[in-house]
Amino acid sequence: MISLFARLELGPIFRALMRNKIGALLIALQIALTLTIMVNAIFMMQERSQQMARPSGVDEANTFYLSNTIFAQNYNTQTSMQQDLQRIRQIPGVVAATQINAIPLSGGGWSMSLQTKAGDDVEGTGAAVYMVDEQGIAALGVELIAGDNFHNSDIGWRDVGSTKWPPKALISKALAEAMFEGNWKTALGKTVYIDNHQPVQITGIINTLQAPWNGWNGVERSMLVPQQLDGRGSRYFIRTEPGRRDELMPVIEKMLAETDRGRIIRNVTSMEQTRDKSYQEHQATNTILLTVIIVLTLITGFGIVGLAMFSINRRTRQIGTRRALGASQWQVMRYFMLENLLISTAGVVLGTAGAIALNIWLVSTFSMSPLSPVLLLIGVVALLIVGQLAVSYPALVASKISPATATRGRA
Amino acid sequence: MFSYYLKLAYLSCKRTWGMTLLMICAIGLGIGASMTTITVNYLMSANPIPHKSEQLYYVQMDSWEPNKTYNDNGDAPEQLTYRDGTYLWQAQKAKRQSIQTGMAAVIEPADKEVLPFMVQGRANSADFFPMFDVPFLYGSGWDHQADLKKERVIVINAELNERLFGGKDSTGQSVRMAGEDYKITGVIARWNPKPKFYDITTGAFNNVEEVFVPFSLITEQKFNRSGNTNCWKPTESGFQAFLDSECIWLQLWVELPTEQDKADYLSFMNAYAKEQHQYGRFARTDNNKLRDVMQWLENQQVVSDDASMMMAMSLMFLLVCLLNTVGLLLAKFLGKATEIGVRQALGASRNDLFIQHLIESGCIGLAGGLLGLVLALLGLEAIKVMYGDWIRDLAQLDFTLVAVAMGLAIVSALLAGLYPTWRACQVQPSVQLKSQ
Amino acid sequence: MLTMNKISKSFITDDVATHALRDIQLHVNEGDFVSVTGPSGSGKTTFLNIAGLLETSTSGEYLLDGEDITKLNDSGRSRMRNQKIGFIFQSFNLIPDLNLFDNVDVPLRYRGLSASERKQRIEYHLDQVGLASRMKHLPSQLSGGQQQRVAIARALATSPRFLLADEPTGNLDSQMAQSVMSLLEDINKAGTTILMVTHDPSLAARAKRQIYIKDGHVSELTNKNSNLHVVGEA
Repeated sequence: MISLFARLELGPIFRALMRNKIGALLIALQIALTLTIMVNAIFMMQERSQQMARPSGVDEANTFYLSNTIFAQNYNTQTSMQQDLQRIRQIPGVVAATQINAIPLSGGGWSMSLQTKAGDDVEGTGAAVYMVDEQGIAALGVELIAGDNFHNSDIGWRDVGSTKWPPKALISKALAEAMFEGNWKTALGKTVYIDNHQPVQITGIINTLQAPWNGWNGVERSMLVPQQLDGRGSRYFIRTEPGRRDELMPVIEKMLAETDRGRIIRNVTSMEQTRDKSYQEHQATNTILLTVIIVLTLITGFGIVGLAMFSINRRTRQIGTRRALGASQWQVMRYFMLENLLISTAGVVLGTAGAIALNIWLVSTFSMSPLSPVLLLIGVVALLIVGQLAVSYPALVASKISPATATRGRA
Repeated sequence: MFSYYLKLAYLSCKRTWGMTLLMICAIGLGIGASMTTITVNYLMSANPIPHKSEQLYYVQMDSWEPNKTYNDNGDAPEQLTYRDGTYLWQAQKAKRQSIQTGMAAVIEPADKEVLPFMVQGRANSADFFPMFDVPFLYGSGWDHQADLKKERVIVINAELNERLFGGKDSTGQSVRMAGEDYKITGVIARWNPKPKFYDITTGAFNNVEEVFVPFSLITEQKFNRSGNTNCWKPTESGFQAFLDSECIWLQLWVELPTEQDKADYLSFMNAYAKEQHQYGRFARTDNNKLRDVMQWLENQQVVSDDASMMMAMSLMFLLVCLLNTVGLLLAKFLGKATEIGVRQALGASRNDLFIQHLIESGCIGLAGGLLGLVLALLGLEAIKVMYGDWIRDLAQLDFTLVAVAMGLAIVSALLAGLYPTWRACQVQPSVQLKSQ
Repeated sequence: MLTMNKISKSFITDDVATHALRDIQLHVNEGDFVSVTGPSGSGKTTFLNIAGLLETSTSGEYLLDGEDITKLNDSGRSRMRNQKIGFIFQSFNLIPDLNLFDNVDVPLRYRGLSASERKQRIEYHLDQVGLASRMKHLPSQLSGGQQQRVAIARALATSPRFLLADEPTGNLDSQMAQSVMSLLEDINKAGTTILMVTHDPSLAARAKRQIYIKDGHVSELTNKNSNLHVVGEA
């Protein structure tokens, strides 16, 4: 071991570094800060990417929705809506269509608290509410994993100011687990209470259906109720055969607009657009973070190249002398590579502390979760490699210095 | 001598152009990134109504459920119930008060060829306009009587006036909205406060509404309310039951010119809560709040976490760039040791050398700053593209920000240059002049 | 012109004091041409650096043109160097970024002369060394002898009373060395006092007065023969 160290000249390298403390310190600090920022930035990106990767439960590729706003006076909203749905369902290529009160991931919707016992002061579980008809499941494309879908006879009209809830509901697996101690299967058939006192029987469980709010910690908790809102504003949610969505979106919009002049059809939006918009900030933030990481690494890398080039220029005579005294090209190169490794190691040690400190601050200020040690380790290794790559060009230049420089002096 | 130093700086930079470029890029990128995030943060935390933000108070009454506060930190709810809001408004105890909520309705243009369209609006009381200094292009708002009599009056914005009346003075004309005719009392000029302080419940940076109608018309149920509604207690069906319910959905602003007015108003609110307590409401009678504009925006954290986090990151990024520059400048200046020695031999004092190198650092800083400014502009454009519409007004450089950017760049570069310059001036001429 | 009284210089490195110069006693008259010789490490360069105000002595008194140098601060010494002293170095030490005109311009800038006066002086002095036609060239485009002539022009541009030359011919071949030496003799004849460090005895012998430094002590060689004449002994 000792002889290895002696051969690698770590001692002399270290002593030489100590004579140029400031230069080495600057590089080490840069590497430390780079690691601090890089690791935390990657961590933030990971958190966002994981959020974005969660499935909404909806067949996003083949679904879209639109808003129907009625302005004509003396208008029979119920008949008109039923006719609309019938017409939509008859169009070839449409798989299913339903009226719905809110759209997953769209940012706006309803939520209610469900209780396992009736009563005013009973702790409840919040859930997003989707009001759909018997085609709701098919239109959304969600998977029913237990129980039965609604029947046509279950569907009732709900007045705008009504606070009455239907007796049946389908709930998401996550909601069932939250209410029944992690065991969703036991939820089927149970009666729970909505609005403190109104009993609702769970007649079915769906695998996944996200709430309208992507940042809500209960985003996986949702319920479907067999109701159709009777009002002057409504939304239709439509699922098409694979690949036909873009073709059918304008067709259906035109059909609805032309059959009835007493209303406006607006916001014709695909679920994919809704997802993009929902996660637009996340996506943008990730892009920025990625850019920061890349640019930062480049700057640090080029900084190392620049400083190493200068240090080699200043030491041309010395390097020539070493060559004249018998050092091989590889030994000269190794000298600079090792020198960088020493500095980088000091940098990453400092940077590890910095990364943890920054993370602690982020955790306390922005309620982020703590950093994973594996990520930190990857960051450390990555930066050591960047340092070695950056210094390899100057080291190569140094190794090409002719031994004759020693006698001839500087050009 | 200054021009001489500039020339020397130019020659020196030209000689080590790769390094100089690297330093300019590093400073530029650091400044660009910092300015982009500083701009967004600065505009997010801007005071939207600076001349009277300390006289406008947002009213919070804790009508929430007895066993649980609305917010985890115990703070009162963000909105009011209809009962409480209308009671406070009707009392007219403040200099001005505006009760309000969001609304939406369909407008049917007189020209039947033009398709009906949806507008986003606000239902508010008469004081809204003078309270928030809303600028009018034509006409004005309505008066208190119009509120009480539930008159069909409307104020529209300039864009809508353009669309419906070709931009002409439309006061006195009527608009058909939600099946009824509304008489236009005024057209507001371009006005888009950021943050949109008077209602941040559905987003702090939304655009100002297109139409404004009396809040009292809400009870007529002709148009839809919009905004958040939160309820804690079961309610009977029907609109009257909703109005009487414990659901919170409206906002009340009051204008209180002096501290005494504020204290009086708060005791008025608390007295009301105590009185209501006797009827079984208001479990917490003293948890009512009056917050002025900036306190309210602060309380609601309108500066997004992402924005502050990005700013922290970018400032650290700038620090890395500066360390980089310090290192490179140091190397560069020490590489000029011989020249420095010669200059000393030829009569340059340490002061002369200090100024010479500081000017060189300053030039690099200036170039970096200019690059940073360009990058900040590009960065802001990129932010607009990536984050979408709502951020448009938050991604604008104004004169102050440009000045800050340049200042930041030059100060950073000079700071970065200070140590290397000092080191350069410590060069012992005698050591350097011997042939190497 | 130049008087050194008990000048000593010691360096302290790693807690060991090295005495480079010990109690130097020297007087140089106006118009003298003094050569300084001595073995490597004898203190020649330190002596020259102190004479040229590039270093300060550890103790002793140094009068240059009647002014007590030891009492001056950095900017005072800079002014003295600029106004009274010209330097010529073995490795020429032209500033590589600057062309010949700008190189000669350097001391004139620090003198704070007007643009027209600077231009006139630069052109005159470059002309004197035969390089007026190459004013816009960079030092790297010149031969060693030419570079040294530019360095001499630069040294003379401020019309110094006193010229210090550190091995001025050390990096030149003998023919070049002869021409530079003749140039220095001409300059001396025109009235400039010259102090020249050299290791070449034949060049040293051409000076009017020769001094010899060994182990930090200065001794005088009487002209034309090598009898040692000790000036100051500790």
